[in-house]
Amino acid sequence: MQKWQKQISCQVAVALFTLGMQVGPASAQGLAPGEYKVGFITENTGAIASAGQSFWNGAQLAAEDVKAKKYLGDASIVLDPKESASDAARSIQAMNQFIADRSIIATTCCVLSPVAGALKPIVVGAKIPLVIFGATASGLPQPPWIYSMTILPGPKDIATAVKVADALKPKTAAYILAADNDAFKGRMAATQKTMEGKGVATAGVVSVLTKDTDFTGAATQAMGLKPDVILIYATQQAAAGAITALRDRGYKQTIVGNDVLSPAAMFQKMGPTVVGVPFPVSFSASIADTPEAKAFVSSYETKFKVQPDIYSAQGYQVVWFIAQGLKSISGAPTRESLATALSKITNIDHQVYGGQQIKDGQAETAGTLVVNWSADGKLVPWTPAK
Amino acid sequence: MQPLVDFWNAYRSTLTFALVNSFFALSTYAVLSVGILSFATVTFAAFGGFLGVRLVLQTGIDPLLALPAAAAAGALLSYVIALIFLRLESHWMALASLALILITRVLIINVPGTGGVNGLSVPVTLPFFMFALVLLVAIIIFWRLSASWYGIAARAVREDAAVASTLGIAPRRIQTVAFVISGAVGGLGGMLLALALQYLSPDTYFVNIAFTMIAAVVLGGSYHWAGAIIGAAVFTALPVIAQAIIPEFQDVANGVVLLLIMIFLPRGLIDPRAIRLHFAARKAVAQAPRDATSPAAGGAP
Amino acid sequence: MDLFLQQLINGLALGSLYALFGLGFGIVFATLGILNAAHGTYASWAAIIALAAVERLNLPFIPALLAGIFGGGLLALVVDQVAFQPLRRRAGGGMISALITSIAAWIILDSLAGTATGHQSLSFPRDSYPDTIFFVGGIPLPAIQIITVLSMLVVTVSLHLLIRRSRFGSAMRAVGWNQTAASLGGVNPRYVVVITAFLAGATSGFAGVLGGISTNNVSFHLGEGLMLKGFAAVVVGGYDDVRGTAVAGVALGVLEVMTAQYLSSGLRDGITYALLLGFLLLRPRGLFGSAGFSRA
Repeated sequence: MQKWQKQISCQVAVALFTLGMQVGPASAQGLAPGEYKVGFITENTGAIASAGQSFWNGAQLAAEDVKAKKYLGDASIVLDPKESASDAARSIQAMNQFIADRSIIATTCCVLSPVAGALKPIVVGAKIPLVIFGATASGLPQPPWIYSMTILPGPKDIATAVKVADALKPKTAAYILAADNDAFKGRMAATQKTMEGKGVATAGVVSVLTKDTDFTGAATQAMGLKPDVILIYATQQAAAGAITALRDRGYKQTIVGNDVLSPAAMFQKMGPTVVGVPFPVSFSASIADTPEAKAFVSSYETKFKVQPDIYSAQGYQVVWFIAQGLKSISGAPTRESLATALSKITNIDHQVYGGQQIKDGQAETAGTLVVNWSADGKLVPWTPAK
Repeated sequence: MQPLVDFWNAYRSTLTFALVNSFFALSTYAVLSVGILSFATVTFAAFGGFLGVRLVLQTGIDPLLALPAAAAAGALLSYVIALIFLRLESHWMALASLALILITRVLIINVPGTGGVNGLSVPVTLPFFMFALVLLVAIIIFWRLSASWYGIAARAVREDAAVASTLGIAPRRIQTVAFVISGAVGGLGGMLLALALQYLSPDTYFVNIAFTMIAAVVLGGSYHWAGAIIGAAVFTALPVIAQAIIPEFQDVANGVVLLLIMIFLPRGLIDPRAIRLHFAARKAVAQAPRDATSPAAGGAP
Repeated sequence: MDLFLQQLINGLALGSLYALFGLGFGIVFATLGILNAAHGTYASWAAIIALAAVERLNLPFIPALLAGIFGGGLLALVVDQVAFQPLRRRAGGGMISALITSIAAWIILDSLAGTATGHQSLSFPRDSYPDTIFFVGGIPLPAIQIITVLSMLVVTVSLHLLIRRSRFGSAMRAVGWNQTAASLGGVNPRYVVVITAFLAGATSGFAGVLGGISTNNVSFHLGEGLMLKGFAAVVVGGYDDVRGTAVAGVALGVLEVMTAQYLSSGLRDGITYALLLGFLLLRPRGLFGSAGFSRA
């Protein structure tokens, strides 16, 4: 037996089977029974570990659900994790190891868009499917090999800003931007354009860096521009720091956040400072209304003792997406046949959003829900009377 | 046969990174061998790497041809740095080289053409045997150097620069040469890292390489060039092994290994002095019975 | 003008953090001759310990702060005895070996800090520290900023008096010059080393707890950020005079905030590092340091 297969984490109680150990005749229709391995590049340590862990938890839950519901009959999906700590070099090494392991039929990765970009040529050259669970850059998917289950936040940002602008009718807006993050730069620019189109003048843009720890200077700068509303375009730590600093210095008007504020851990960290800050959310445990969503929330809470967030949902959908592809295959799946099957999917069967489509390899949901945290830690729809 | 091929494919990238890290370790060793602690290897690597990649992207030449360009760029930068830094005392020099790395990162983010924070995708790469071949060339060069006049002069300067100058060796000149060698090898390593990763970001060339390479050189043995290569191999393999055994504490493992080496094996694994003493002792012991009647006493000094 | 004053105060508070941290770092370098790369981790860990004291033991602000300070000092002591003491017994190697060993300690402590915080950035609960904001002429003055500046002043003055006016301070300076000669003069170097290490860790811990509160960020990044800036403060100010370090730290903080406000935040760190490099190259003894002496 190949030695490195012993590196499987004990989080996933997994038995090692190679493909096609059921020597019985492959049925003329339906997937051959067996355990199909999916290589998962985890990011459970490193700078974005809390998000990384959410993705991994969601995926594990989905693998269990697929098996429990017998969605693939007697077949099931088994996850093979390799930790990358969000480091590009380690992700590449992990991917190469997955590619070399003949029993792995699909791979999944990446919270950071540059790392996903680096892996693209490798998977295309090696002809193995890759489903991205977290990277938010647009244009990453490349059917038939590369798909993305990330709900892109850009259009949601604009919808949120428009809703706030319509309700409050501000005259000027200031933006706090993580200047070293191209994705947020793009999102801010798009929102800024829309806002200016609606007559909300830009008072100024205050730049911070994602690795900053002190935001009093930036907060002072933003407040000095005397805007009616401040919009935040930064990653989790920076957004939390900026919002807290603004409130600490006595800024009482509306601050518009973004999707990074949605996990429950952010409410725990920020407490009263984040109450009332509107942001868009595609999935939230407190606003789950479809039966699949409710079931997802309750089993996630039972298994992991915390509520799922949008990252858990995206991780969950990755495994269901692969399962949906597998379901349409007859006999034993190969990497090529799985890729072809995945490229044919347009509508996701089992999802927790109340509707999810795939277009050109990119998952999408319709509509935008604008919410804010309430004082008792629940997400409620945002209303202007704050 | 198949398992072997699969094993090879799985670990080929780890081996490639080990080879690339050898270049950084050799670059650090080059200056350490004349008694200077400098982290500037990282800056040379960044310069060589980004220059080489831009050259390939802009002109589309074969990456193999870009390698000498990267080495030359590194050598040029190191010559300039040497002129400025060698005036400093040793501990200030180490700190200055650290500050240099920090500034390099700020420059990479702000200078156009480097892809800024998002990094640069490198569409070309080299086959594995090319990495090994280039390393072989570097090894031959280091081997010849250490056996040459330069090697002896370097050892003298490291032992005691003042004494070396009384012997007619110009320490400043030897140290400058060491810097240029370090720059060339560092720049080469930087380009090779870009080709291995196929992706560059501001964090690619940062303090973690600097500290890991110092650790690698010290572990392998800072008194011989082979030590650098062995140390680099160990420190590349260590995270992979640690991940297999104790995934939660894999980074801690790096630190613990380094700490243990510093306390118990400060001259590293490959220590020419220890080897020479060992062989001298064996020879003396073998001679002792024969020279039992001779007045000169045998035994190690 | 209003904005300028506000940013000036922000800079003073931020700079006081850097100064406070730099003081500890500078003492170790001046007295023990060690460039300690692990020094930042003492600050991170002090913040973690203080946070644990608040969350698990429900301690109020001052006892939690003291717990953090004491924890930082203790950690510095342990690292010194485990990592650096074996090197002292061995002759030769000098600064390079100490630096490499400190890198090892840095790696270990940073990873453990990451594990302790679950790889996230934690925050102090808002009711665990004084969060009133005073308004002086319309300019907001958060209480924590006032506390930071006052602490820096108190610690600087105390350390200065200790080093220059007390017997122990003379012993510290003697050990810093030459340990053997100092012991010939009746000083117990081991005792001095231990106390110095503790003091250094305690001041860094102080900076760590205050920094963790004011930036809402308790994680191993806290220590790393302080480390680089504190190091710059020591170099620019002169490592053997605590007053120089304090002045330089505050100046760097003000410079940083003003650069972000009036120039560009991308250059913010660049200015600090450029200053650092400049001083290293042109005037390594810093603004207030005494004329260089070389360590053999």
